[in-house]
Amino acid sequence: MSKITKQEIERILENPVSRRSFLGGLLATGALVVLPGCRLLRPGTVDMGQVWEGGYQTFRNACSRNCYDTCSIVSYVKNGVLKFVEGAPESSFTAGGLCVKGNSYVRRVYSPDRIKYPMEQQGRGTGKWKRLSWDEAMDKIARKILEIKARDGSLLGLALSKYSGSFGITHYGVEGMMSSLGYTTRLVGTPCWPAGMDAQNFDMGNMLCNDPEDLPLARYVIVWGANPAWCSVHSMKFLYAAQEAGAKLVVVDPVFTQTAAKADEYVQVRTGEDGALALGMCRHILDRGLYDKEWVAAHSIGFDEFAAYLREHVTIDWAAQKSGVPASHIAAIAEEFAQARPATIWIGYGMQRHVNGGASVRILDALVAMTGNIGKPGGGARYAQMQTWGFNYHAKNQKQPEGSKGWIGASGPKGEFDFSGVKENVKYADRTININKTAQEILDTKDPQVRMLWVACKNILSQDFDRPKMLKAFNKLEMVVVADQFFNQTVEQADIVLPVTTFFEEWNINASYWHYWLSLNEQAVKPLHEAKSDIEIAAALSKRMNELAPGSCTFPTTVDTKDWTAQEFNKKELDLFGISSWEELRKGPVKAKLTSSAPWSDGVFATPSKKYEFHSDLCAKNGHDALVMYKEGRPAYDKLRLLTPHSKFAINSQFQNLDWMADFNSEPYVYIHPRTAALRGIGHGDAVRVFNKVGEVRLAAQLTADVPPDTLLMYEGWYKGLAFNCQNLVDDVSSDMGSFKTGAPGVAIHDQFADVVRA
Amino acid sequence: MAAACATLTKAAPPADGHPASADTADELEYAFNRLFVGPGAVPAPPYASVYLDPDHGLMGESTRIAAAVYDALGVSSPSNGRLPDDHLALELDAAVVFHALKAREQSAELAALWDYFLRDHLMLWVPLFLACIKQVPDVPPAISHVASLLSAWLSEECGAKPVTHVPPCIN
Repeated sequence: MSKITKQEIERILENPVSRRSFLGGLLATGALVVLPGCRLLRPGTVDMGQVWEGGYQTFRNACSRNCYDTCSIVSYVKNGVLKFVEGAPESSFTAGGLCVKGNSYVRRVYSPDRIKYPMEQQGRGTGKWKRLSWDEAMDKIARKILEIKARDGSLLGLALSKYSGSFGITHYGVEGMMSSLGYTTRLVGTPCWPAGMDAQNFDMGNMLCNDPEDLPLARYVIVWGANPAWCSVHSMKFLYAAQEAGAKLVVVDPVFTQTAAKADEYVQVRTGEDGALALGMCRHILDRGLYDKEWVAAHSIGFDEFAAYLREHVTIDWAAQKSGVPASHIAAIAEEFAQARPATIWIGYGMQRHVNGGASVRILDALVAMTGNIGKPGGGARYAQMQTWGFNYHAKNQKQPEGSKGWIGASGPKGEFDFSGVKENVKYADRTININKTAQEILDTKDPQVRMLWVACKNILSQDFDRPKMLKAFNKLEMVVVADQFFNQTVEQADIVLPVTTFFEEWNINASYWHYWLSLNEQAVKPLHEAKSDIEIAAALSKRMNELAPGSCTFPTTVDTKDWTAQEFNKKELDLFGISSWEELRKGPVKAKLTSSAPWSDGVFATPSKKYEFHSDLCAKNGHDALVMYKEGRPAYDKLRLLTPHSKFAINSQFQNLDWMADFNSEPYVYIHPRTAALRGIGHGDAVRVFNKVGEVRLAAQLTADVPPDTLLMYEGWYKGLAFNCQNLVDDVSSDMGSFKTGAPGVAIHDQFADVVRA
Repeated sequence: MAAACATLTKAAPPADGHPASADTADELEYAFNRLFVGPGAVPAPPYASVYLDPDHGLMGESTRIAAAVYDALGVSSPSNGRLPDDHLALELDAAVVFHALKAREQSAELAALWDYFLRDHLMLWVPLFLACIKQVPDVPPAISHVASLLSAWLSEECGAKPVTHVPPCIN
């Protein structure tokens, strides 16, 4: 017999029939019954996945990151392995394409860096990790929870920090898990968008936005404090379409962003002075009589008061002096904006991360409203919407065990996704503390103190503010449990880490807060390693809790992510999307059936007066000015402004750790204006130290005139293996609004200051 | 894991001749996890595809080849796909199966399949994996010892001298 070649072996191995018969006679002798020394492999064959000759199985997925675009994904699976992903062609928003991050998803699922097993650290930050079985991990956690309950008489010593790392609806089962254990402490609010959310609720009675797909109808678009060229790439085609149809695209931003580069006109506003700039425009429009007299008379209250305020307190020169934008330029864009029909403003989240952020959003709303652009297709004060999020929140709504004791007093809302509002007259409730001041709250909370912290869908040591203080707060905690996919800076400080599934490994459902598409997320591949979904973790914990103390946890002890996804749907939600069963989503994403692409098109608002409120008593009741008006920014506490916006290669602390991102963006930089750098003797590429009252960051400098001379900029994010953390420079000062709808004020991320020297 | 560590410490007598203490067993476990398990990114991932596949990820073509070899041998991993089939532990287990079968029967097909698995799979990645371990400072002697045993075994199987040329670490 001639030697069998490598090529022949590979051909034989490729085909299940040929490879199973290759050693046929040999295996038939029963040689495999006894395999001395073999400890892992077992006799017998397994299905290696369906073989699709040259083809792929496809699955429906949905990007669950905290992103405008919430892409509908088609994933391609071969032999049980995810091979590649692309944007779903059915969605006219995603339109068949993904972003730089989305295209890297295969790298995420199959990264050798994933957390694979439950593990326990012998001393936080020591790097001394031992593997645990899931049973061992659940036992340790359950015993700690029961010990806290025995010590304090309640579970208020157990706190949850969870936010937007995964927006799949069943992930609210983490909150459900907490409720199923008892009344606990919840870190509530959001670092993202709450000031603007409250502002729009005061002005209009709800936060609703025009369908972004109607942008091509606009004749004038101002993108104000947002950078969709990086952060909402799928919206860019609609902006381009508007430009092609003759619209002018203006970008207002302190930084010359990639979006600004695509605009017809760039307006460099002084950071935090957006309100002044917009008030100057309002005053000029008022003076020229270019406002929509009919609309404000019919559909608003408080306009005369606003007009009087403008005449008394605002001049275009004052606005120019405050905002740094020349008066002539303010006048020009004001006139153009007021005379274009329709005209629209995209109000970015960046511009409301200020101590006057909510007040500024109210002013931008007013500018759109007084020009008659609210309720118009192609118009609108576009911020965000949540009307497509009408799920059952089945996973979230769990009952406390009988006899649970908790916080005495009113509670709520617990974040923007808590639609149950403020609850008065309840015997016990969860204790709520401000997520944007996590460190301070952990340090200050007493009776009982926060003893144990559960972290899910969040990387608090990269994303929460004042990292030095956070490390101190962690010292106070008796146990920290983190569920995550990668060894980030929070996992470094955990006692127990639990591996969680990627969305390709579980079922879920996702809506967007920007566009109006709904996407099913099917399980495309089996979970790798020992990863479990958040609700499977809750079920495993419940099982152990009930073994140790029957009745101590109400969460079901077995769950199926597909069943739980199905239970999130109700008739109202299905009707909104014009489908009769959630299963229809397996054919592709569907879009909400809107009566108009513009909310408020009937001119009836959800405010107490049913009109647009330039003067809002509700706003006053919540501790702010009733009238739309200027609010001073935060006084500088150091020599230069510090901005820490979103990178193109990451969503907060996700994605940057992947190899494909590192290939293009291998290290963080601080971006400095050449003049500012020259004054400090800093050259391009120099190692520098950025410092302020919070702490310091050491990194390399890049010189660019894209940032203003008074500003330092570094993109937030978590780099694998690097100590870089911009939260060493960001304190936890609150923004003005946010408590009304989310239970805690927002945070003034962009009202930070620092200085820089050569390192 | 503790039992595995105990085996490891026995396999490599400490340089100073004292028996391994509980502390060293713990330290060995931490070091083992830092090298191969996690939760942090590990310097020497014990999966063939990380070294052989162009994307350096898990569940690549080399993973599938390992699974196909097991299938041809009539064995399979009980992990149901959760542990990639090209994990070193499974591949060494397959080597045990090969040797058990070879000891019982003469078969040209078996010899050819083993030769393929050894020379066109194991030998292509295990030296790279061992090189990655070598680049890590302060690897406990027990782990270095087992690594050198693995290296020597591979060389012996190939009928060659011990591997002296160390390829560069890919990580």
